[in-house]
Amino acid sequence: MGVARLDEVRAAFLADIESAGGDLEAVEKIRVRYAGRRSGLLLDLTAALRELPNEEKRDYGRALNELKKLVADQLEAAKDGACRGRAAGPQVDVTLPGLTLPKGAQHPVHLVRQRIEEIFLRMGYDVEDGPEIEDDRHNFEALNIPPDHPARDDQDTFYVSGGRLLRTHTSPVQARVMEQRKPPIRIIVPGKVYRRDSDLRHSPMFHQIEGLLVDEGVTFGNLKATLETFLHALFSEHGVDVRFRPSYFPFTEPSAEVDITCIFCGGSGCGVCSRSGWIEILGSGMVDPRVFEGVGVDADRYTGFAFGLGLDRVAMLLYGIPDLRQLFVGYQRLTRQFA
Amino acid sequence: MRFDLEWMRQHIEGDTDADTLSEALTHCGFLVETRDPSGDSEIWDVEATTNRPDVMCHRGLAREAALAVGARLEALDTTVEESGEPSEGLASIEIRDPDLCSRYVGRVLRGVRLVESPEWLKERLERCGVRPINAVVDATNYVLLETGQPLHAFDLDRLEGRTIVVRRAEKGEVLTTLDGEDRKLESNDLVIADRNRPVALAGVMGGTDSEIGEETTDVLLESAHFEALAVRRTARRLGMHTEASHRFERGADPEMTPVAVDLAARLIAQLTGATVCPGRIDVRPRPWQAQEMTFSVSGVSRFAGLEIDGDDIVRILEALEFRPSRDGDTLTCVPPSFRGDIERVSDLYEEVIRHIGYDAVPAVLPTLRTPPGRRHPNWELVDRGRRAAVGCGLTEAVTYAFIDPQVDARLESWPLSPGPSVPLSNPLAETQGTMRRSLIPGLLAAARENLNQGEVDVALFEEGRVFSNPEGDCYEEPEHLAVVLAGGGLALPGRDAVDFLELKGVVAALLRDVTFPEVAWQRGGGPWLDETEGAVLVDGDRRIVGIAGRLGDDEAGRWGFKQPVYVAELMLQAAAIEPALPRFEALPRFPAVWVDITVEHGTDLSYAGLEAAVRELSDRLVTSVSLVGRFTGKALGPGRVRTTLRLVYRHPERSMTQEEVNAAQDRLRAALVERIDVTI
Repeated sequence: MGVARLDEVRAAFLADIESAGGDLEAVEKIRVRYAGRRSGLLLDLTAALRELPNEEKRDYGRALNELKKLVADQLEAAKDGACRGRAAGPQVDVTLPGLTLPKGAQHPVHLVRQRIEEIFLRMGYDVEDGPEIEDDRHNFEALNIPPDHPARDDQDTFYVSGGRLLRTHTSPVQARVMEQRKPPIRIIVPGKVYRRDSDLRHSPMFHQIEGLLVDEGVTFGNLKATLETFLHALFSEHGVDVRFRPSYFPFTEPSAEVDITCIFCGGSGCGVCSRSGWIEILGSGMVDPRVFEGVGVDADRYTGFAFGLGLDRVAMLLYGIPDLRQLFVGYQRLTRQFA
Repeated sequence: MRFDLEWMRQHIEGDTDADTLSEALTHCGFLVETRDPSGDSEIWDVEATTNRPDVMCHRGLAREAALAVGARLEALDTTVEESGEPSEGLASIEIRDPDLCSRYVGRVLRGVRLVESPEWLKERLERCGVRPINAVVDATNYVLLETGQPLHAFDLDRLEGRTIVVRRAEKGEVLTTLDGEDRKLESNDLVIADRNRPVALAGVMGGTDSEIGEETTDVLLESAHFEALAVRRTARRLGMHTEASHRFERGADPEMTPVAVDLAARLIAQLTGATVCPGRIDVRPRPWQAQEMTFSVSGVSRFAGLEIDGDDIVRILEALEFRPSRDGDTLTCVPPSFRGDIERVSDLYEEVIRHIGYDAVPAVLPTLRTPPGRRHPNWELVDRGRRAAVGCGLTEAVTYAFIDPQVDARLESWPLSPGPSVPLSNPLAETQGTMRRSLIPGLLAAARENLNQGEVDVALFEEGRVFSNPEGDCYEEPEHLAVVLAGGGLALPGRDAVDFLELKGVVAALLRDVTFPEVAWQRGGGPWLDETEGAVLVDGDRRIVGIAGRLGDDEAGRWGFKQPVYVAELMLQAAAIEPALPRFEALPRFPAVWVDITVEHGTDLSYAGLEAAVRELSDRLVTSVSLVGRFTGKALGPGRVRTTLRLVYRHPERSMTQEEVNAAQDRLRAALVERIDVTI
């Protein structure tokens, strides 16, 4: 016993490590044999310290510590080498998978929002913002929807205390901007909106984007050109046709529902478009003079157009997502498909 | 609304095929949503917008269709054969509240028998989704679907005093409506009463007391015009919606009342063998008044952005029964009684452009008269948050902004809570009863959903508003950015499970990229965060701007997590709205010398405290101080720790010598030992 014994163990250990040759299982066996917590050789060597005469203890202890460190380092290096061996060696196997680095992803609704914002920023529109908890005046009355208007039935509303409500569309921001700014006005307003509705096609919370242009001499032809340009850019990968149909919204007149050729069947008719070949994509129209009057814009001098569409719906169409409500669960696998 | 194709075609001259009609209707504003064959006809589902009650009937839709395909509307035959005593002597009608009822027309039929309707009639009703009952009721429904005028048939003998009184109800009066419900009436409800009691809810539904039955012989037909608001309020209050209320609420045609009552009387006579008593009882306290409107060819052309031919405008308004006349550029017209939606010139523009066709208007981009577009600073801020989070490898979740009030209640002492909560008055579900005050509950639910789906590594973020109602009418909705890391978190190479330092790395990156001010990490964040692994982030003004740490065991248990879960939430309004432009700094011209220093100290000295002391006491040529490693262990004893720091020395104008650096290190060691409780 004594320091000589330590030298023997060291030599044996180094030989073992050498012969393991980077085999992880072999390295593990060596680890158990020398540094195992219950029966490792190092434990015996440590226990032997107590048996030694005092004058030898100091040298033995120092050497033992060195040995322990050597064993630990070598085991670590051997394991490390065994791992790296996958890539190292005389020739790297270049077909091995690389390290997986974290990769984030934005939600498809926000990807679509940014895509739309880019198109309109290029056409000179500002991107505006407004509150989600609204008052009745901006959400309804200023938009020509008085308290008993039947259009309120279509927008079942969530109320909070004090008569406030969760905005049912992004249109109140139009009213707010027109109250504060003089024409010419070119804005789009993206944001969350809320309606008391929940099924396959409706979610109590969803996203809209709204547009407004007010200036002298704005025509219905301007509205058509703007929305055609926008929709061609938005669905540039699909190459859609655009159709304008008369419709009704309380805040515009004349109003137009805008359809694009069904991107699933190319217009020949399928289940998604109810065999019509067309898909409703946005609502629009010339701003009703009553809306102008309500927010203090001179209706004799200015005309304008407004439009709105559902961001979630566009995301579903663009990416082929079938169920609206799946968008608001937070599924990583869903969102990462669009990164 | 459902239409019977052949029934509508009957009102259009000529023989236009179904496809042409469908296409033409869609183009002038009445989208034909579905077409289903039914017998020798088709059932069409056509979108009739709320502003156009006049097309909620076959004749009204036919008027639009005829114009759209260039055909004429068939004239309506309203002749009716009459005999016996005049209606006037058999019943009386009084309108006590003319503000709610501008006209009430009645007709009496005698010798009515309760028979079944013929097949052709039943088929037409059924195609429109109306259930056949008996010939009398079916006839009234038939005329409703044809003309849009709601009608009602009373058993005349069951009206006390053979009298109709149109009045507001007295509070507390009760009426049993035809659906068998007892309706408690309010003084704002408009009712049809006889001498003593209400017998029908005006414009909504009849009552059982005056219902026609087997023993009925004499019938009083009602064809009236009730005010939209009155019908709407009563129907809404009682939660009722009928074919009649649907039309009255949107505005019926006051001038259709006599026509419809004649059509119905003739049909009932034809079906049941009854005789129609001569004359109508027509009470008309407020006759409908035509309003002349003037506009110009050039005005509508300018608005459309298309030169429109004046003759085309006249042709369109003629067909829509607006009685137009034209004098050069000036157009004059009188909108018909069934077009209550026409109030101003822009309404006329719509009629013209709609029938000229939206396709005919050339698309011309508007002239750009505004400066280049800019995004609202709030959008810049929140998207900066999004980009930063994505840059860290997080995936975005968008969750509902309303949460369970029970969860919300536990956020009462949440350090980031913006104030008192905002409950919804009419939530869809109890578990969605209040607006969120933190994004974390939504993210925890999302994390759990992902783990349940078999995901092992969850790394999510959400950007969105939280809500509070600090007082009265004041509502706040600041933007927050939150993170959840669960299980393996970001799944960084070589790591099995997420820990505090992984979360802190993410949060530090967010703080930097979203341009938050300098923050200090202080222990805290309870009760949601674990006491030993929670922190609040405090800015220079000692305001809490964020929290970060491990979800406490109690809360983790409530959510059913078995994996470690780390969360963080930041208040975005604490970040710079518009970050300063970065400034160029000259690249170093001389090499740096780095050297490590290891100190031993108690755990009561935080790393931040140690680093601050080292920075303060080190030579001015030290350009960076960073952590190399920390060691604890039995050798040091409990409560002791050994920290190794790396210092980088760099002189701006020359290379430094090792001796210089060694001397500086010696001075630092001496100063540290003197100033703080460390050993070296």
